[in-house]
Amino acid sequence: MKKILVIDDEAIVRTSCERTLVPEGYELRLATNGREGIAFMEKEQFSLVLLDLKMPDMDGIEVLNKINTTWPDTKVVMITGYSTVDTAVQALRLGAYNFIEKPFTPDTLLGAVKEAFEK
Amino acid sequence: MKNIFSHPEKSIAAKLIIATGLLIVVVSFIFWYATLKKQEKDVMSIALTYGDSFVKFTKRSTRHSMLTYNSEETQGVLETLGTPEGVQRVRIYNHQGNVLFSSNLKNVGTPVDRTSLACTSCHSDLGKSAALIPDPVKWSVHKDEKGSTSLKMVSEIPNEPDCYNASCHVHPREQEVLGFVEADLSLALLDEALFKQGLALTVYVIVFVLAVSMFLGIINYKIVTHPVHKLSKGMERVAGGDLDYSVQINSVDEIGVLASTFNSMIKDLKAARDQREKWTQTLEDEIAKKTEEIRKTHVNLVQTEKLASLGRMAAGVAHEINNPLTGVVTFAHLLKKGFAPDSPQAQDLDIIIEQSERCSKIIKNLLTFARATPSEKGSVSINDVLNRTVFMVQNQEKFHHIKFNVVLENSQFIIVGDSSQFQQIFLNMFINAADAMGGRGSIHVATRSATEEGKPYVEIEFTDEGTGIKPEDMPKLFEPFFTTKPVGKGTGLGLSVSHGIVKHFGGNIKVKSEVGKGTSFFVRLPLQEK
Ligand SMILES: Nc1ncnc2c1ncn2[C@@H]1O[C@H](COP(=O)(O)OP(=O)(O)O)[C@@H](O)[C@H]1O
Ligand SMILES: [Mg+2]
Repeated sequence: MKKILVIDDEAIVRTSCERTLVPEGYELRLATNGREGIAFMEKEQFSLVLLDLKMPDMDGIEVLNKINTTWPDTKVVMITGYSTVDTAVQALRLGAYNFIEKPFTPDTLLGAVKEAFEK
Repeated sequence: MKNIFSHPEKSIAAKLIIATGLLIVVVSFIFWYATLKKQEKDVMSIALTYGDSFVKFTKRSTRHSMLTYNSEETQGVLETLGTPEGVQRVRIYNHQGNVLFSSNLKNVGTPVDRTSLACTSCHSDLGKSAALIPDPVKWSVHKDEKGSTSLKMVSEIPNEPDCYNASCHVHPREQEVLGFVEADLSLALLDEALFKQGLALTVYVIVFVLAVSMFLGIINYKIVTHPVHKLSKGMERVAGGDLDYSVQINSVDEIGVLASTFNSMIKDLKAARDQREKWTQTLEDEIAKKTEEIRKTHVNLVQTEKLASLGRMAAGVAHEINNPLTGVVTFAHLLKKGFAPDSPQAQDLDIIIEQSERCSKIIKNLLTFARATPSEKGSVSINDVLNRTVFMVQNQEKFHHIKFNVVLENSQFIIVGDSSQFQQIFLNMFINAADAMGGRGSIHVATRSATEEGKPYVEIEFTDEGTGIKPEDMPKLFEPFFTTKPVGKGTGLGLSVSHGIVKHFGGNIKVKSEVGKGTSFFVRLPLQEK
């Protein structure tokens, strides 16, 4: 089951992910913030989380920590702006599987997702 | 000299002069008085000797005529004796006081005044008793109405065998004193001599007193008043703050010692004051230096803070713009899938994608100064980057009339970083120089080794012949958005971005500029220590 949770406060980013990944056969859940995302994860099981690094209510890193400790089998790919590359590197160290930079093309996103599912 | 006597109680010299003057006057007066008295006494004793001789002479002269009882002859002798000037009167009278003979004939037969020396010299009081006093005085001095003194001498005529054996038998044998010779001698000449001598003495004493006083005064002035005055003047000047003053007194006495002590004291004072002033000066300099340091640190801090906040803002902006850009890019790609790859629609969509990516790049560039995150890290040769940038720039129209004078030190200035970042710095330097020179002139570029705090640096110099930078613009130079260029031409980000990059590498940028002459920028970047 290719179930993916997208956590991003920006609707256009969520939509972009949805429009890129759904036609490729992935099942998507969209959360607007970290708390909502955690709530989704408590109800369902996800193989992959696309997590925005910078969100208003809960820092992406915090959510990453929570996922890592509670659902260690779920992979996390961080979505980041250029300015937070350092943070992304930090995120990788903290256990994120990969990261992609905004603005990303559908191919970039798809490539990263496929890679995550392959291993 | 005058002012010391106006307030004698305030002047040592006046006190000294008055005291010594008084002493001289008193001593001189005593001397003068004693001398006068002594002279008077001496003259008197001479007068007495002569008077005595005269009386004896009178006795001798009259002896013969007396013994022969020749009254006329006796009278005649007396008249003769009374003739010389100075002999006022010569008389002979008997024991009862009756004048028998006199140089003045009119006196003959008159009685002698009972209070006269003739009687009082032997009898204390004739009215009561005729007792004799033991040591009879034989002379007296008195003044007459005209004020001239005269000496009266009385001498008894003792009885002797020739007298009581004489043929006349006038005097009995038992009588002891037969009569008296009395002479009145004028002392006018002696008085005059005395007076003259006294006068001379007085004049001498006065002249002496005056001379000594004057001499003392002068000595006093030279030794005491003048040096003391000089000293007090010096002290006044010193009290007034003039420590360059010194008192010129070369004597070796106490005042000389005082003056030299005073002078060395002033020298010490001056040295102390100079030292203090030097300290104050160094303190002021030190304070100025520290103030300047603090100001610079503060400016740097403000600068850094400004840059940091601008960076935060830019990061926020970038994030916000990246979100819509993600949408644009994604949907353009999705849309493109519906068209054949060679179709004009697909080509148009490629332009949209391209331009979106350009937007993303612009944002990334804007962010370089806030957070230098080189994407292509590697060993960069500063000389190579400079050469490449100069080459690139020379082919652009803007630099067609600009001469490049490149002097690069033959050394590998290697820095680990992103070459595009250094290129960005150099490019901005060239553009600024070209703008400042109005597109005409020459740009001097040089690299050289430098050391700062013992660490190796590469210094890159950019010197132009442009307008220069106004001193009031200097502090704002590295502020983001500070520009003097027209809207659309300058962004005011060039130097602030450059500064951000250089700071990131631990370097610095220094500027030297003279309005109307040109500007030099010195970029220093630390090198890897070997
Ligand atoms: N070489 C130069 N000669 C004269 N002025 C200069 C020079 N370099 C920089 N400046 C001044 O500094 C300002 C800021 O420069 P910069 O940060 O590069 O922004 P911009 O070039 O967009 O104005 C310029 O507008 C100019 O006034
Ligand atoms: Mg510029």
